[in-house]
Amino acid sequence: MKMEDVSLSSMDNSKMEGFAQEILSDLVEDACLGLCFEVHRAVKQGYFFMDDTDQESMKDFEIVDQPGVDIFGQVYNQWKNKECVCPNCSRSIAASRFAPHLEKCLGMGRNSSRIANRRIASGNNTNKSESDQEDNDDVNDNDWSYGAEKKAKKRKSDKNPNSPRRSKSMKHKND
Amino acid sequence: MRREMCFINMSKESQMRAAINQKLIEMGERERLKELLRAKLIECGWRDQLKALCKEVIKEKGIENVTVEDLVAGVTPKGRALVPDSVKKELLQRIRAFLAQHST
Repeated sequence: MKMEDVSLSSMDNSKMEGFAQEILSDLVEDACLGLCFEVHRAVKQGYFFMDDTDQESMKDFEIVDQPGVDIFGQVYNQWKNKECVCPNCSRSIAASRFAPHLEKCLGMGRNSSRIANRRIASGNNTNKSESDQEDNDDVNDNDWSYGAEKKAKKRKSDKNPNSPRRSKSMKHKND
Repeated sequence: MRREMCFINMSKESQMRAAINQKLIEMGERERLKELLRAKLIECGWRDQLKALCKEVIKEKGIENVTVEDLVAGVTPKGRALVPDSVKKELLQRIRAFLAQHST
């Protein structure tokens, strides 16, 4: 039997509409059954009632919507205007500037060792203590055992444009 | 590789319907319609409504004893009624378009 023998004339508009409704009905039924199966599985596997908690716990963790406070109810700009005293240089620093200041002041952290390296590379031979503390930094920064023969190698390789450290600092410049 | 269809005892109309149904499936349109319906039903909250109805059935029958049949019987009739008209309309539009395109 060929398709050409069966033409539109055998199905008028109301029949078409009925057919369309039937298809829709099938689809809806599929959706319902699908849901029932999902629910049934969830019930039997024990995760259907997972998001039901008792009223009291729900109240404890309700989202907070007040000005000046985050959704957990904590004050979030509490420390904005506080000042801290640096344990190293005993200066009073603003809280938001404290971490970067500590980095430079203690000679730890990525940026301070880079600045120090730059100074060294440009001919300054001071600050032996700073390069001691930089050891930690290298171990943290490099994945391979670059840190093993650090001190002698590092100064040389800084002049090398292909050194990993150089490419890493380029990477972080774009952060 | 077309599956041969047995037309012997079917009226022209039934042949027509069978042929269209087959096209619907083979062209992936039925699957697409299913997905569309699913998305719309989630969006409009139908799914959550039905889940709530399921909870009632479960509480009634008990977690240990509730069967798929319990859920289907308890929920499907209301489920059909709760589908919003807008969703039905949109789906019907697409179905009619497909029928118009492929019924000749």
